[in-house]
Amino acid sequence: MLSVDGLTVRADSAELVHQVSFAIAPGERVGLIGESGSGKSLTALSLMGLLPEGVTASGTARLGERDLVGVPESRIKDLRGRELSMVFQEPMTALNPLMRIGAQVAEVMTLHGRSSPEARARALDLLGRVRLPDPEQIFRAYPHQLSGGQRQRVMLAIALANEPRLLICDEPTTALDVTVQKQMLELIAEVAPALLFITHDLAVVASVCERVLVMYGGRVVESGPIREVFTRPRHRYTEGLLAASKLTPRGTRLPTIQGNVPPAGHFPDGCVFRNRCPQATTACEQVPALTGDGHAHACWHPAD
Amino acid sequence: MPTHAGTPLIEARDLTRVYRRPRTSLTKPGAEVHALRDVSLTVHRGERYGIVGESGSGKSTLLRLLCGLDQPTGGSIRFDGQEIAGLPERRLRFLRENLQIVFQDPMSSLDPRMRVRDLVAEPLTALGLPVGDRVAGLLDAVGLPATAADRYPHQFSGGQRQRIAIARALAPRPKVLVADEPVSALDVSVRGQILNLLADLADELGLTLVFVSHDLSVVRHVCETVAVMSRGEIVETGPVDDVWAAPAHAYTRTLLQAVPTLEGLL
Repeated sequence: MLSVDGLTVRADSAELVHQVSFAIAPGERVGLIGESGSGKSLTALSLMGLLPEGVTASGTARLGERDLVGVPESRIKDLRGRELSMVFQEPMTALNPLMRIGAQVAEVMTLHGRSSPEARARALDLLGRVRLPDPEQIFRAYPHQLSGGQRQRVMLAIALANEPRLLICDEPTTALDVTVQKQMLELIAEVAPALLFITHDLAVVASVCERVLVMYGGRVVESGPIREVFTRPRHRYTEGLLAASKLTPRGTRLPTIQGNVPPAGHFPDGCVFRNRCPQATTACEQVPALTGDGHAHACWHPAD
Repeated sequence: MPTHAGTPLIEARDLTRVYRRPRTSLTKPGAEVHALRDVSLTVHRGERYGIVGESGSGKSTLLRLLCGLDQPTGGSIRFDGQEIAGLPERRLRFLRENLQIVFQDPMSSLDPRMRVRDLVAEPLTALGLPVGDRVAGLLDAVGLPATAADRYPHQFSGGQRQRIAIARALAPRPKVLVADEPVSALDVSVRGQILNLLADLADELGLTLVFVSHDLSVVRHVCETVAVMSRGEIVETGPVDDVWAAPAHAYTRTLLQAVPTLEGLL
């Protein structure tokens, strides 16, 4: 349904995302994981046509028969919020503080051609569907009267309003408390038509998605079914990330990945991970291709 | 019930903090918010004490009181035998020398216009202590090169900035290091580096650690004792391994079940 091929994102001199390709089938939940600066958010924003000024995307991305990359804003505007929609990280800033909740949920439907009374009725339904307590009261409330978890549910209601074919979530629970996060993750998994879920938290992605793409330095370095990738990682970065995510007992050393994520545009040539990789050799000066069916990896010295 | 062999260093008794909401009516005062209700805790010398709770649990309020950054509405806090509740700032010098803080977000806790050298030396100059060649030694202790001293915070990654914040906190040779969510803003691959560094420094310098986090699994790795907070109260406290293995309070169980773990999911 969604197919992305050779997606590349550039800011004048630097290449921020390089040749990313993946596909999402209807009903499939795919995770996109990576640390800050890995290019995961830029990948999502380029699908939404929301890249910041001066940043351009090339390659192809198609949702059904519709092109998402390299088309004018007037065309993408038609799709955004209807065919695909997105929930952002910050529920505090994503809502308009001067508009009542109900009006904000209804707005996305009237913008795409529904009549106002119909949109309002449906907005009330949606608030109930994302399991907000007392939807009628929430409908009349302003954003500041809601907690962070409730606001994020409202964002989800807005995203689902036009029954999109694809839902993109960018760190939707990072700003939430863990008990609220749990409910939110269960809700997303239940209501998403097809999902691209971006996070840096491996445990979160494992609890929501079926398949995962691991990004580092603007490239997909490993992809495959979650269980396989997380129990038998091939790329050394995935391996390091998994080791670093497990907290060992007190008094023992935590496994770490040496060094820091380089700033954008300062990743090494060849394998982007080679300056932090314990297995790196001269072979890694050449770019490794992402190879393998189902469970793919881009590494010259894979684990196992 | 003693949980630690050391002598008490921080003793809080029946701490209460009441805030008043801004008034919404001309005739009535704003509503009262009980941010802390009768909280008591004892941190022993050399202990690694964790405080866990979600937003609104009162953990930040408690931390501000323990650090002498706010005054309690009621109760007492003794640091090394001296009462700090109600003391004016000019009489808190002993606390400032002995207790330092590392904040959550190294992007906002370091002045962007100061060089690392001045950032690390600032707690010393503020207290009128000699700086000498301490900066190079401190940077080395947190794993940064001496050349870092001449650069600005924006030239470092999040993990490196947190190292700078730790070097700065250690400058006055404090007895207690308070860390408020020190790894929450960091990438997973860097989180381990900072937690290892904190553990090493606590060992080498004999530091007492007060470690605040929303994540009980991080606290379990770092601390020996934990206090779980909810709605302004400590609902459960004890050795972290006991609390982890057999949480007594319903809220602690909820908290433990809510955190997704890879081990549990795969």
